[in-house]
Amino acid sequence: MLQAAGSFYCLVMGVHALAREAPLPAHTDREQFEQLVEQHLNGLFGAALRLTRNRTSAEDLLQETFFRAWRSFHTFRPGTNARAWLYRILMNAYIDLYRKASREPEIVDQDDVDEFYLYSKVQESDQYKRAGNPEEAFLETLLDADVKAALESLPETFRAVVILADIEEFSYKEIAEILDIPIGTVMSRLHRGRRQLQVALWEYARRARYVGADTQPPQRESRRDRPSAGGGR
Amino acid sequence: MSEMDCEHVLEMVWGYLDGEVSEEEYLGIQVHISKCADCGPRYQFQRRLMVLVEQKCREGPVPEALKRRLFRLLEE
Ligand SMILES: [Zn+2]
Repeated sequence: MLQAAGSFYCLVMGVHALAREAPLPAHTDREQFEQLVEQHLNGLFGAALRLTRNRTSAEDLLQETFFRAWRSFHTFRPGTNARAWLYRILMNAYIDLYRKASREPEIVDQDDVDEFYLYSKVQESDQYKRAGNPEEAFLETLLDADVKAALESLPETFRAVVILADIEEFSYKEIAEILDIPIGTVMSRLHRGRRQLQVALWEYARRARYVGADTQPPQRESRRDRPSAGGGR
Repeated sequence: MSEMDCEHVLEMVWGYLDGEVSEEEYLGIQVHISKCADCGPRYQFQRRLMVLVEQKCREGPVPEALKRRLFRLLEE
């Protein structure tokens, strides 16, 4: 029956059949895979931590990513962007494993906040104005834990884009491919995410060091609701 | 190259810092922020902030035990 279709057809069918039956890659594939993944493992783990916000989930996510990447390694074309390929698998695994669990309300918007929110806050603050260089003085007060917590307080749609752009340093185009969204959406999420991050950073700095006790007292409840702390909607 | 106004320059801050503007735009902004007392410090702060976020959110290496566990998956 296949022969009837001619030898070219046979060849094409043969290649397809091969590709479909490839989930058990050969030994040499394993070495290639290990080399390729090993270079990106630290970055993937960091991104997994910021996404899931806890170590156990991050380890599970990394393992799932690793497993999926191995299973689909035969579809990876050498010479293409391996790093973006791996992060795409990571993001999809994250969505499959975790996004269903907690549906966050879509977007507490901060349109009243501009791109230079933090700069303006620092400039207005009596405490920092006393320092010779208020901006530096503020940035020096930020602890690792504050910055991580501020990032983790962002709604996940924004958090994902900020992680990919600001920590993993992917281009807009790569992020669009990783998340399978248009570049315009990458930009708007990134810009909003960075605005919210600034609001959260200001709150964390204020809470930790009681910067300018001019506004409401610190609130200690749910970390996850926090990005809205600095301003209304 | 025509002079850029502050409003436009400030709008472009993320694209500029992300290296996502055209070369012409990049050069125009560069000239503007080197001279403008309003935009210059704002750009500088934004850049410092981005570097700081990147540094403070970066994680150390994957724990060795986890790495071994992952690579063992391939042997099964
Ligand atoms: Zn200006």
